Amino acid sequence: MSGREAILQRLRRHGAGDPAAVDAWAAAGPVGPRPRQGALDGPARIEHFIEKAKVADATVSRIAGVEALPAAMAAELRARNLPATLRTGSDPMLRALDWGSLDRSEGVGRVEEPATLSRAEFGLAETGTLALASGPDNPVTLTFLGETHFVALRTEDVKAGFEDFWAAWRERGLTPRTLNMVTGPSRSADIGQTLQLGAHGPVALHIFLID
Amino acid sequence: MTAHEPKSRFFKANVKAALADANIQHAMRSTGPNFVGKRAKARDAMPEFDALRDRARDVKNHVLANLPLYLERYEAKVRDAGGHVHWCETPDQANRKVLEICRRVNAKKVNKGKTMVSEETGLNDFLSENGITPVETDLGEYIIQLRGETPSHIIAPAVHVTVPEIDKLFRDTHTHLPRDRDLTELSSMLAEARTILRQKYFEAEVGVTGANMLIAETGQSVIVTNEGNGDLSQSLPRVHIVLATLEKIVPTLDDAATVLRVLARSATGQEMSVYTTFSSGPRRAEDPDGPEEYHVILLDNGRSNMVGSEFEEMLRCIRCGACMNHCPVYQAVGGHAYGWVYPGPMGAVLTPSLIGVEEGGQLPNASTFCGRCEEVCPMRIPLPRMMRSWRAKEFEKRLTPTAARYGLGVWAFFAARPGLYRAATRAAMAVLGRLGRAKGGFAALPLAGGWTAHRDFPAPEGGTFMAQWAAKRGGR
Repeated sequence: MSGREAILQRLRRHGAGDPAAVDAWAAAGPVGPRPRQGALDGPARIEHFIEKAKVADATVSRIAGVEALPAAMAAELRARNLPATLRTGSDPMLRALDWGSLDRSEGVGRVEEPATLSRAEFGLAETGTLALASGPDNPVTLTFLGETHFVALRTEDVKAGFEDFWAAWRERGLTPRTLNMVTGPSRSADIGQTLQLGAHGPVALHIFLID
Repeated sequence: MTAHEPKSRFFKANVKAALADANIQHAMRSTGPNFVGKRAKARDAMPEFDALRDRARDVKNHVLANLPLYLERYEAKVRDAGGHVHWCETPDQANRKVLEICRRVNAKKVNKGKTMVSEETGLNDFLSENGITPVETDLGEYIIQLRGETPSHIIAPAVHVTVPEIDKLFRDTHTHLPRDRDLTELSSMLAEARTILRQKYFEAEVGVTGANMLIAETGQSVIVTNEGNGDLSQSLPRVHIVLATLEKIVPTLDDAATVLRVLARSATGQEMSVYTTFSSGPRRAEDPDGPEEYHVILLDNGRSNMVGSEFEEMLRCIRCGACMNHCPVYQAVGGHAYGWVYPGPMGAVLTPSLIGVEEGGQLPNASTFCGRCEEVCPMRIPLPRMMRSWRAKEFEKRLTPTAARYGLGVWAFFAARPGLYRAATRAAMAVLGRLGRAKGGFAALPLAGGWTAHRDFPAPEGGTFMAQWAAKRGGR
């Protein structure tokens, strides 16, 4: 008997399970308690997203439209004393922009990446979290190898909480290899139980919220 | 004896050593209050927290009642996404499966994200013995791997290591750097480890991670981390292997959200950990990065025997560590004293369940039964009740030491005869009261050395509780 069969057989001694109950559970949708902080609407939702992202040590700037992104990006790089170079994927929104004198290259993350830029599919106001879908448009390694990770997010893609986020995610039909939910820059408290930013992933995370 | 062999049967000696170890005592003093305060703050900031705990408990109970169905549905979804599921009954089978995959792709180096299941199987030792180098990439795990140790806490594996010890460790290990470099700032140590591990991410052919959850709806495995090492370990190598156990299943993405809402708050007091990653299958045809192969090793290791038993509820555990953070015993002795993979209250229940009461039977005795573990458990696991069950089993199996059995026998004799019990305690208290009247207490007392070594035993004053109670009722 294979390990699979042996394990399943041992489990079935206590009942094989009820297929109808399992189907009903899946069909019921999000019936758990919905936290108030994940149910905000309108301007309060966006403010909450920004507030929570900042609590998680991210920085946020709002820009008036996607056309303003290259200039805002250049300004951020200058303010952080970073070179005017940028690594991105082939996201159509980023590709369509005129990046001017910024040296933008497309591809996966390399061992040293001072600045990377991704576009997030969604944001969650509940916790200031970004939801990124891996793929050629936004390679997953850019999210983790950038010393400073910049993320562009449309204000309209900020969802209140998990409930409407999952609904929107399913509706968009996304099935990437990874869905990366990111809340602030990487950190560790493994040395002296003192929290430090920039463990293996980015030291800093900046979000451009595009109206 | 390797680091992974169980030492739980030496619990008493382990505890003595831990209490006498100045470094452990120093490290533990700052840990507990830190975690406790952060969790309390997170709980207070969320009015729905307890309702979410109820829901999280119900989700897992539903899964455990239908586990064979959910495992089959999950497996089908993994296959649909191009992944492989390998069912393993024992740690040895799991290790061999990892080795088989490594050999097939000619791997020399395996990078590891944090996985407690690999501690259960002793994967690192096994790979090393077979000529493959495992590299722990979680900063805490990296530190203890260099020290030849196992984790002393399930989410803060190096919590027992002090800063001066890490300073020395890095100077002794990273010998390509100048010995007299400045490591005064904690940030310089972090930067050093970051630089060294960054290179290693690009060298491994296989990446191994654990899983906080397996989602039946989508076939995804989920890891929840703060450092990003688990993501680099699964995104850069050619092969991603997930080591997970049966009970990690949750039905849907919405159920995963319920668990996430209680997990980080209970563990570190964060509302969300930095990285929550949902992985399914290998990279897609058009993807420029990500692994080319995706394997899930589904390990049983005794869990299928817990289903339907009085310890089934332990399988709800989501490994947040809140029970050990709030445990007065864990906070006094640290994790290594428990002698195997899982310390604290959850370890006291899991260890005898997974490796036997003969090895782990002493752990459930290490409890004051203060009940804080159950109070803070996000999954509402009745840990004290299960520890009592293990105590009873230990007694039934005659594993309890003779002196303790004899003592319990004497106590039981009196406890079953209330009149005699009261008379005996009255007499004993009267004698103690008279003997201790002059000094008000005892600096030494036969059979109570464990108490009087640290503080005086107060001399009893007045009547026994029962005598006072009777007097009060009579006076009414």
